[in-house]
Amino acid sequence: MLVFDQLKRSDRHLQVISVGILAGLAILLSGLWYVQVVSARRFRADQQEQSFRSVRVPAIRGKILDRYRQPLVENRPSYNVNLYLEELRRQFYHEYTNSVKPQFVRANPNVPLTRKVIGDLEREARYRVVSNYLFQVSSTIREPRSLVENAFYAHYSRQRSLPFTLLKDLSSEQMALFVENVPDLVSLALDVQLTRFYPYTNLAAHLLGHLQRDDTPAEDEDINYQFRLPDYVGVKGIEAAFDSELRGKAAAKMVLVNRMGYRQSEEVWSSAEPGLNVVLTIDLKIQQATEKALTNVLGRTGKPVRGAAVVLDCTTGDILALESAPSFDPNHFIPGFTHQEWEDAKMTDRELKPLVNRATRENYAPGSVFKIIVGLACLESSTFDPKETIYSPALFRLRPGGHPWRDLAPPGNYDFRKAFFLSSNYYFQTNGLYKAGAKRIIEMGRRFGLGERTGLPKGQDVDGYFPSPDQIVKRDGSRWMDGDTANLCIGQGEIAVTPLQMALMTAAIANGGKLMQPRLIMALEAQDLNSGAEPIRFPAGQVKRDLRIDPNKLEWIRLAMLDDVEHTNAVGRLDGTGKNAFMKDFRVCGKTGTAQVFDENNRYKEHDVWFVSYAPFESPRYAMAIVVEGGGSGGGTCAPVAREIYQAILKREAELKAASGIVASDPPTVENAQPGLTLNTAPPRRIP
Amino acid sequence: MFEADLNQRERQVDWPMWLAILGLMLIGTAFIYSATSVNESDTLGLWERFRKSSWAVFGKWFLSRFYIKQVLAYGLGVGAAAAFCLFDYHRLARWSLVIYWVTILLLVSVILIGNKVLGARRWIDLGVFQFQPSEFAKLSVLLVLANFLSRPSEELRSPSLFFKTLGLTLLPFVLILKEPDLGSALVLLPICLVLMFVAGVPPFYLKTLLGGAGILVGLLVVDILFAPPYLRIPLQDYQRDRLLVYFAQDFASHATTAPERERARQLQRDRTYNIEQALISVGSGGLTGKGWRQGTQNALGYLPKAVAHNDFIFSVIAEEKGFLGSVIVLTLYTVILFTGIRIAGQARDRLGRLLAIGVVTMFFSHIFINIGMNIRIMPVTGIPLPLLSYGGTSVLCSLIAAGILQNIYIYRRSY
Repeated sequence: MLVFDQLKRSDRHLQVISVGILAGLAILLSGLWYVQVVSARRFRADQQEQSFRSVRVPAIRGKILDRYRQPLVENRPSYNVNLYLEELRRQFYHEYTNSVKPQFVRANPNVPLTRKVIGDLEREARYRVVSNYLFQVSSTIREPRSLVENAFYAHYSRQRSLPFTLLKDLSSEQMALFVENVPDLVSLALDVQLTRFYPYTNLAAHLLGHLQRDDTPAEDEDINYQFRLPDYVGVKGIEAAFDSELRGKAAAKMVLVNRMGYRQSEEVWSSAEPGLNVVLTIDLKIQQATEKALTNVLGRTGKPVRGAAVVLDCTTGDILALESAPSFDPNHFIPGFTHQEWEDAKMTDRELKPLVNRATRENYAPGSVFKIIVGLACLESSTFDPKETIYSPALFRLRPGGHPWRDLAPPGNYDFRKAFFLSSNYYFQTNGLYKAGAKRIIEMGRRFGLGERTGLPKGQDVDGYFPSPDQIVKRDGSRWMDGDTANLCIGQGEIAVTPLQMALMTAAIANGGKLMQPRLIMALEAQDLNSGAEPIRFPAGQVKRDLRIDPNKLEWIRLAMLDDVEHTNAVGRLDGTGKNAFMKDFRVCGKTGTAQVFDENNRYKEHDVWFVSYAPFESPRYAMAIVVEGGGSGGGTCAPVAREIYQAILKREAELKAASGIVASDPPTVENAQPGLTLNTAPPRRIP
Repeated sequence: MFEADLNQRERQVDWPMWLAILGLMLIGTAFIYSATSVNESDTLGLWERFRKSSWAVFGKWFLSRFYIKQVLAYGLGVGAAAAFCLFDYHRLARWSLVIYWVTILLLVSVILIGNKVLGARRWIDLGVFQFQPSEFAKLSVLLVLANFLSRPSEELRSPSLFFKTLGLTLLPFVLILKEPDLGSALVLLPICLVLMFVAGVPPFYLKTLLGGAGILVGLLVVDILFAPPYLRIPLQDYQRDRLLVYFAQDFASHATTAPERERARQLQRDRTYNIEQALISVGSGGLTGKGWRQGTQNALGYLPKAVAHNDFIFSVIAEEKGFLGSVIVLTLYTVILFTGIRIAGQARDRLGRLLAIGVVTMFFSHIFINIGMNIRIMPVTGIPLPLLSYGGTSVLCSLIAAGILQNIYIYRRSY
């Protein structure tokens, strides 16, 4: 090289200088190598930490739809007025130099402007500016407000790079006022926020569940977010069971902030994946009818109705309606209940228990409804003859002078069918004890799925209680006595069931002895039907257990249940316990039940009354179970509810038939469903 | 004959050096633009602005752009460099003493009438532009020392000459220190030392000088770090703090009460802020950088706007162009430095040789201190990076220095 050629001439001084400069440059080069290449990762992390704020933006939560894609739960846009603080910096400064500081100096000429004083004055200036904005805006929308100082400071010191929400949830008139009168302010914006919305308020609230504010980081989150926009977690019902599916994946937004902590720009690091819609097997119309029918029952005491109703498609196991009363309005959980609202809604009332889903999570004694099982157990016994009549004194004792079980059916001669439709305790206790025996009854109950979960998605139902046939002991482990069997024969004592279990039992009778897997979720599908994502479908008509019951024996029960509703006495008047469910051209089969409820001190408190049924007799399509706590009697209180629901179902069937010519057993598929159109304009079609 | 003449002319210009200088000027313009334009509120393009506004408004706006001013300074500097090549450097050397005393006069006057910026009087306001005499002082000290030391080497043995040399350096040194501008003052010392060494001042003097300087620096450090307040050398507070930062000292070590400690910590945060942000800028650039005008440190104001385009321009380049950018800058400087050493070797006489070495030393000191400061191996001193930092006086002086090198090259020995 040119330079070193010259230095070869043993010019010692220049050599020394050259070596010195080379050494210096080598130091710089290695220093730069160390800083820019070796430690680059650390400095880049430092730089990101100081200039990026990660914000978690929740994805749009999926809707919950009924079987015809009618929304049961959706997201309602709410409009907030947001103030973008970074746009106000000039105004903050202006306010400080032209107003706050001169005023302070005039008032306190001798106070030195230390760092702290300046800090306080700047704070004051910012407060004034924002407070002015709020006053201006809130006055234009005719809802004057003043700025809560601490709320603003908290936002300013912690979340300066995010917009400050001045006003929340504007009404449409307020929005119009805002748009017309406040167009010139660049720092203000009307931002949309989606709020969970339950359009039918109390309807199926237990089934749908509700949300609760939740901003805690998930365990599998790969970003340590500095800010989290409000997010909600499902705590009950479908909202909880399918929370992760409904929630989708949150977006990660990075806000670039300048040295003062104001927002400079934004960048989406990972975009949100919207949650899936959950399509239920529920039919909104039937659900509404069920709710109406149930709440029409005024409790004996005039108190709000406590009870539940489950309507099944008995051939597929689809849950068409599932209602629990009293209910609550899940919309209230979004802003959160105030103490007063919580009290008013009697959310923690020990008797009303509005938060409990009575249809799937409450334990009831089935009362005489259980005679269906006892009857089947008797019929399976070779020594039992259903035609044989026995005399009932309407009072049953195990031994003379023993505990008396009284009967609501009059004394007289009873064969099986008569005993069934008049619900003779004596008949079923005698035959249950001496013909069927405890073991056969318990085995039969177990076959019908008593004492085990029905298989609804996570946490939706409870086991109930039923003894195990392998080792027959009582719930507390003590020895099983004949008295326990006698009690069980009339559905009391060592037994607890949910209305859903009873509905499934009834469906199994109706469909020829198949215990169905109840289906509540029809499909999980993308919110955007055009996204091409394959929906997750849950098949209908899954048989949980084929009960292998002799059809002839089953026919005895089916006829007995028909009698319960349709039997007429000598003068042609209906005399079955379920006569109130009678419909002229729709043959309902049913069984009433009344179970005594005792309080903590073992004193009689009230009756829980039942009516289980299916219809139509010839080729059953529907099965339902209705329970009302503190009702008069199963036939008096619940049977009319059932009739009302069946009427609504018939109306619905006609409606669907008119719309498509096809009975509502299969939902429209994703391929032919047209989002946004209601059923009447977009009839569901069966695909060939 | 004609061809030979042409060849002769061709070799008049030292192309590698001027190409390197051109490269640095382009980089300087680009990154001063990057460092100063990101926060312009309106994003009108140059052409649109030209179309939309009147001549006067456009002109005023145009001339107030930092990068435009820098380009003007480059032009002026190249002109000055060319002017300095018109006559033999001997003629320049003959005027060296006059230049020297004029400089001393300017340094005195800047202390008296200079514009006070951030607690220091460094600029003389000439209306059209501001002018920084300490930059010129480096050149004139270099000139006067080279001239003074270019006498026969026997004379250099006399102690009186040694002390005179020292005196010539220390007078402007003290004046510049008084402004105060520690960085510019300190650059005079290596120039003096290297010139004496190359001129052939006996090693004994040099060793004594180095030893003395070493002891002084040691004492200064000990004083700053450990001495109780009443024994301290009267340094400016910020200078002391910068050294404390450099030696990674805890500001709160002497604080006894909690609020005092809090204040000390706050002060420490303030004082370490620049250097930390410069380091983050350089480091976060990585191997290839974030791209021109993509650096965030400067755009978001973490790297203070007041210094990003001048003393810390290297941080901007390193952040946006990464280690590769840094290597390119260092390479261009290396070309200039070794061209200077080569020219020193080719110089016709001792004067030329000393001048060339002086220029090289001056460049190198600036480069080493400035880049070193960006990566924390040197304390923070307000020293510009030659040809890259924004600043008319600095650019002018650097180009004049390059012109002097060129001058020595033109009048090199012809064998």
